Amino acid sequence: MTSLRKFENGVLTIGTFAAAALWIFPLYWAFITSMRSEDRVVSKEAGVLPDEFNPAAYIDILWNTNLVSWYINSIGTAVIITFTVIVSGMMCAYAISQMRFPGRRILYGVVLASFMVPSQALVVTQFILMNDMGLINTWAGIILPQLIVPVVIIVYKQFFDAVPKEMREAVVLDGGGDYTLLFKVYLPLNWGITTALGIITFIMAWNQFLWPFLAVTTEDKMTIPVGITQVNDAFGVFYARLMSVALLGAMPVAIAYLIFQKKVTEAVMISSGVKG
Amino acid sequence: MGITLRNVSKSFGALGVVHDVSLDIPTGDFAVFVGPSGCGKSTLLRMIAGLEETTAGSISIEGRDVTEVEPAKREVAMVFQSYALYPHLTVFENMAFSLRLKKTPKAQVNDMVQEAARILHLEEQLQKRPSELSGGQRQRVAIGRAIVRKPKVFLFDEPLSNLDAELRVQMRLELAKLHREIGATMIYVTHDQVEAMTLADRIFVLKKGVLQQAGKPLDLYDDPHNQFVGGFIGSPAMNFLPGRVVARQGGMIRVALDGLGTELSAKSDASVAEGTAIKIGIRPEHLVPTEGGFEAVVDMAEDLGGVSYLHARLATGKDIVVELRGRRENFDGRKISLSADAGEVLLFAEDGSRLR
Repeated sequence: MTSLRKFENGVLTIGTFAAAALWIFPLYWAFITSMRSEDRVVSKEAGVLPDEFNPAAYIDILWNTNLVSWYINSIGTAVIITFTVIVSGMMCAYAISQMRFPGRRILYGVVLASFMVPSQALVVTQFILMNDMGLINTWAGIILPQLIVPVVIIVYKQFFDAVPKEMREAVVLDGGGDYTLLFKVYLPLNWGITTALGIITFIMAWNQFLWPFLAVTTEDKMTIPVGITQVNDAFGVFYARLMSVALLGAMPVAIAYLIFQKKVTEAVMISSGVKG
Repeated sequence: MGITLRNVSKSFGALGVVHDVSLDIPTGDFAVFVGPSGCGKSTLLRMIAGLEETTAGSISIEGRDVTEVEPAKREVAMVFQSYALYPHLTVFENMAFSLRLKKTPKAQVNDMVQEAARILHLEEQLQKRPSELSGGQRQRVAIGRAIVRKPKVFLFDEPLSNLDAELRVQMRLELAKLHREIGATMIYVTHDQVEAMTLADRIFVLKKGVLQQAGKPLDLYDDPHNQFVGGFIGSPAMNFLPGRVVARQGGMIRVALDGLGTELSAKSDASVAEGTAIKIGIRPEHLVPTEGGFEAVVDMAEDLGGVSYLHARLATGKDIVVELRGRRENFDGRKISLSADAGEVLLFAEDGSRLR
């Protein structure tokens, strides 16, 4: 290795470390902040290095807030949203991709069009609708507006379109109908994308803030991202507690991500159009 | 009768792809639909399978009119060119798929799959997935999937065209043996006339959606109904030369070959007037080097050992092929004089129809 090459490698390594530090620092800062007492967090002595191991913030969060309910709400709604979005999206995509019926193209056009509407533009109407239906402060109120995920239909349709026609004809000759085709052939053939879409939908639902924030006003029905806002009170902001609840809220998603890392990468590559 | 088609037609919108085809395939026959690509042979097969609707006419299987019957209830099984195996299932599950859909008892499924695996020598592969198999094995699994259904008719849509040449020959033999072993009616679609000749009990030649001729392979070879069949069946293809009738007597017609200054005789009772423009057809193996025939210059000789193919050019600029057996001279670049026995010369009218 020439000395120039060594120098280049050294610079690159330092650069990479710097970038990594930049990314990790907020997490690190959140962690050491959550391990300090509220007084120390705002004192002049609080430095960059960890100097205290004080789980008071965590204990306070666990005992004095509805964290357990928030977890249950977050997990419950995210799981129901993920399951419903994947199953309905898959069936809709199958119909658009494989079945011949009048209005098929128009239906796909509607799906594509709904993809173009930013969800924020709909929150007011959705709120009025959910309120009229009496669903504010219920799981159903949190879940229903989040069930519309056109990108799931679009991705599934592309994958179903790519299944060879003969595969379908073989099943038809074997005496299988559309349910056999979808659940015994098209779904197993596309397990990879199903897992990937599932994880992405789950993370999206888990991180959703704006809609659950509007749809829920009572503390026991809140999801974790909304719950974080409840840690403050009239006397100000409690940084250590805020950071501890944020870390606790992010944990399940981080764990899920680590388990399904490869599939998520796959899904991101698909949605950015570089399908491998 | 195994399969009967009566005046069957198919069109996609305004585009007609199969025109008024009527044919009969006796039970247990191996029938081959052959023709150039786009001749409608695959469409015809898919119509028998029920994968394409029939625009006009009727299709019967074992005496039952199935024209309007859905594919699964026609008792046919199809083997696709791309195999269409389910990649997520093992070989066993691929073969058992249709039986499971019919809710066949487990023990029976096992027996039927094992039996098919035995016939096709797939016993060792049953727990593998299709991606772990070679092309030939995949093809066998596809056939196995058809066998377990015990259909009245097997339909093969160019099943060997994805295999390499050696494997194709081997699978061809296996298919012929399989047919002998299970004795079911089979229809096989191919554009390869060698496959057609070697496999078929009965060949159906199609062109542009019209049935040109049906019959035993050698009947088609020796006695084609028209120029298309004559040219399509046989490899290398039949040579066609333009000419003019000069005399007709005693079951013989003498033809002057255009631009070659020679005459050839053909056995024929056809009533064609002297001076009529016609075409003669001679197979490569029937052209023999003789003194006083028409002359050709050999461009290239393919010497294959037992047989040599001479690719030669006539004075008119037309290329012909001559087949010689057991010759050892090198003909490259040489001028040869050719003729043919009157019994081997076929006559075709200008429109391509045969003059007998």
